[in-house]
Order: sequence, then C-alpha cells, then structure tokens
Amino acid sequence: MNMDDADMNTALMVDGNAVAGQLLDVFGRDMTMAVARCAGCASEAEMGALMAFTHSPGVVLRCPSCEAAIARIVETPTAIYIEARGATFLRLPR
Amino acid sequence: MAQPVLEWQGGTVTAIRPETLQTKSFTLALPKWMAHRAGMHYDVRLTAPDGYQTERSYSVASPPESVGTIELTVERIADGEVSPYLHDVIVTGDQIEVRGPIGGYFVWQVALGGPLVLIGGGSGVVPLMAMLRHRAAQHATIPARILYSSRTLDDVIYRQELDALATADRGFEAFFTLTRQAPPGWTGYRRRIDAAMLAEVIKPFGTHARVYVCGPTLLVEAVASALVQMSVPIEQIRTERFGPTGV
Amino acid sequence: MAGLISRGFLGRRRPAEVESRLPPGQYLVTDWPVLSAGPTPHTPLDKWSFTIDGLVRKPVTWSWADFTKLPTQTYTVDISCVTKWTKLDMKWLAVSVDTLLEAVQVEPTGKYVMAYSDGGYTTNIPFDEMTKGQAFVAYQFDDKPLEPVHGGPARLVVPHLYFWKSAKWIRGLRFMEENEPGFWEQLGYNLHGDPWKEERYSGD
Repeated sequence: MNMDDADMNTALMVDGNAVAGQLLDVFGRDMTMAVARCAGCASEAEMGALMAFTHSPGVVLRCPSCEAAIARIVETPTAIYIEARGATFLRLPR
Repeated sequence: MAQPVLEWQGGTVTAIRPETLQTKSFTLALPKWMAHRAGMHYDVRLTAPDGYQTERSYSVASPPESVGTIELTVERIADGEVSPYLHDVIVTGDQIEVRGPIGGYFVWQVALGGPLVLIGGGSGVVPLMAMLRHRAAQHATIPARILYSSRTLDDVIYRQELDALATADRGFEAFFTLTRQAPPGWTGYRRRIDAAMLAEVIKPFGTHARVYVCGPTLLVEAVASALVQMSVPIEQIRTERFGPTGV
Repeated sequence: MAGLISRGFLGRRRPAEVESRLPPGQYLVTDWPVLSAGPTPHTPLDKWSFTIDGLVRKPVTWSWADFTKLPTQTYTVDISCVTKWTKLDMKWLAVSVDTLLEAVQVEPTGKYVMAYSDGGYTTNIPFDEMTKGQAFVAYQFDDKPLEPVHGGPARLVVPHLYFWKSAKWIRGLRFMEENEPGFWEQLGYNLHGDPWKEERYSGD
C-alpha cells in the first residue's frame, strides 16, 4: 500500500486478527487461517492478513494487494450479515 | 486443535501488576481455561447496568504453560472507554467477562521452529512476550531476537524481564529503540524502525527468519514492506495491526 | 445477549444540558471520529468531477473549477452516526442540492437517488428528502478545506439522516425508480435511516 496515505484512516485500519472473534461467531471456528482468493486480482491471503476497516457501521475486509472489498460483516441486534462476493473462495485448513 | 470456548465466562482478577505508568497486567483465573497458543487473544466485554455493552480484544501475555489463568497487559488510552475502566475501577476479586482464546493466524509455538524474529511497537509487544515466555518455559534453544520500539525508556513494557532473559539465555537477544527520548548513556537504537535497523537485527538469520510483527498499523505496514524488500519470504512474516496508538 | 454486569461500568454519558439534542441511543462527542469502509481515495482535483445522471432528461457534469464557482451557503447542523456518536453544531460551506438540481430535469419516475463515491461506496436516499435545503455537497468544514480523511475534496451531507447517508468522496447522484439499497443498506442497515426514530437496521 502507498505509505503516503499515512492518515488517520490508514492508522485506524487493522487486520483480520481484529475480527477473529466475530468470524468465530459466524463460522463457528477460527477463520484467521482461512485463505481468501481475491475475486478482483486473484491473489491469496490468510484472513488474518486482510486489511480490516472496523471503525465503520460494519467491518470491511480488503485485499492487501489491490484493496478490493473481499468481505463485509454487519452485526445488528438480531442478526449477523456477511457478504463475501469479493472472494472467489475461502479455503479452510482441516 | 480443540475448539475454543465460544461462550463468555467470568474471569476473576487475582492479581494486578503495574508494568509502566500507562500499562498494567491483569491476571484472570478462568473457570473454563483452555491452553491457548502464544499470540492469541481474548475478547473482553463490559456491561453497564442499563444493558449497554462494549467489547475489546486483548492479547494474552502469559504462555500456555501458565495453567488455569491468563494475563492480559492493557495500555491505558486516555480517552478510551474500556482501558480507563480496567485501570481505574477494577480491583482484585472483580470479575471480567471474557471469551477465547481467539486467532490462529498470529501464533508461534516451539514446534514451528525458528530462528525467531519478533518486532513490536508499544503494546504490540504483548503477544510477542507470550511467545518468548512460551519458548523459555519449554527451555527451547531456538535462536530468537526481539526488536522493540517505544517512545521512552519508561514506556518499555517488560524491560527487566527481557533484560534478564537476554542475560540468562545465550540464544536470545533483545534490541530496543526509543523514538522520542533516550536517557544519557543509552546504547540502544534512537529512531523509528527502518530498513537499516531491520537488516542489522535479522542479519544472522537472513531470509530463514520466522518473523512476527505487531503494533500500530503504520509501524507494521512499514516493517512488513521493508522485510519483503529484504527478500524475507512473505509466508514467513506474520503481522498483527493494533490500530493507531502511535510510538 | 445479557452479560455479567461489570461493577462500576457506566458506558458513555449524555450530558444533561444537551440531552434534548441527542437522538435516542446516541452519545455526545466533541472530536470528530474517523470512520471508513476503505482506504482514503486521493482523486486529483483536475481529474475530479461531479455528475447527476440516471433518470434525468440529460446528465450534467461539473469539473472542480466549475463546481467551486456555484453559489454556496454556510450550514451549521448536528450530525448523528449510526455507531452512536453525535456531534453538535458542525459548520459546513456547501452547494445546496437544490442549486445542483437547477441544472437538470428529473424524470417523473426518478423518485430515489443513489449517491456514489470514489472507492465504490453508495447510499440511497429518497429524492424528496434531498430538496428544500435538506441536502448539500460540502467542501469546507469549520472554514477549512474538507480533509480527505473526512471525505474531502467534497462530500454529501444529509443531516436529518444517519451520517452513513452523507457519502464521503462523492462523485455523483444517480436518479432511480426504486429504492435500491446502497453499500450498508445491502447488509442490514435501514433503507431510510432517521436517527429520531432510531431507524438503524432494516426492520426497525
């Protein structure tokens, strides 16, 4: 990523490790080691390494190579929404 | 590995130890403790009488060899919501609701081998300390180095323990860099972590190093890029970004 | 979802003197929290444009130079974010959406607007909630150019709805027939978003 974008928005960005608890709720297992293939640029990264924008009405996980949105998670009082159209697949280790 | 405890449990605070002026370590006895791997964290949840809730994640500082308890080292953020409560209100005997352990990506255990290079900024040192404590508890001889960035000497968490470990264990070396102010006679580094500093620290291990980087996002981004430029294979670099608290 | 009550924990406060200005469930902030769904875009001003298209007789586009020549107004408004913070008396210099609409003829079927931004963000708003001074495109905050991290060079501001409707880094408004959901509305957020009725999530 461009280090000139050293603004508060970048500083607030974390990574998939920060949402490991939420992903545990959704998937019932640790997802930080699941590998996501970006539907935009085809690069692969473990979910723990994805850029995570958490200071937001929801969480947006982005590809560390091309910044495309791989997944979005929203928690409401009654439901958890998850959308991962930005991933060609998620590969979970056995 | 066994499934982590998904449900929330009340941990009882059995000890509180100040580490620096801004950080304290809280030892929690957990009724449903399970062995974590060094690098993992627990989620902490606070509930107000009116039902309002808020959560934060804190890395476990203690190694899995400390059975039955976890230690969380928390930096007090002045305008924070949770850390001032933990620092200013919590006393031993209080219960804190936690869930975990969580996060299998940013973990190290002896079986993964080394040589190990740990790079941390500010409170990013916490999960790295768990890794070093685990290594020591296992009496591992895997070569290890830590490069730890702090504002001033007074901000260096676990300083005495790291110095003692380096003295007692020939296979371990600690490097410190201070970014704001150094005491007279300081022989450590005196600047933000940069490529030259990283090159010196990883020199004996070269591209074989297993590297863990944890701390403020901007530090982690800069260090990870520099390591990749130095041809450390990206599969050997694990990162955990803590957000903005700057060093 | 009830948890163990944390002894002595009170959460964030609502000061009595501004209580009536805080919508339900909100707390007061005096700083300006940075929230974003993605990295800050950095479109250079000579490449920036603002467009009104979709169900309009003829789309129109302004360059930055043209846009900043449009008549402006100062607005001082309270802003509420769905993440529960409210900031009072935020001062903006902006072009009213009413001014922008003078340049287009909206088709009778154009009942809803999708605001769209650099970085792919979108949000949907009813057309009749963007007129009569209810919405504006701001490029100054507190008498200074709007910082990129807060949506600069220009952002939409619709103060009577939750702040996620005030699209940062806005590049255009597209008129549409149906109330199609934007970026957060697709993921469980309310299509309307009135803070005084606490319309946070779909089904509220």
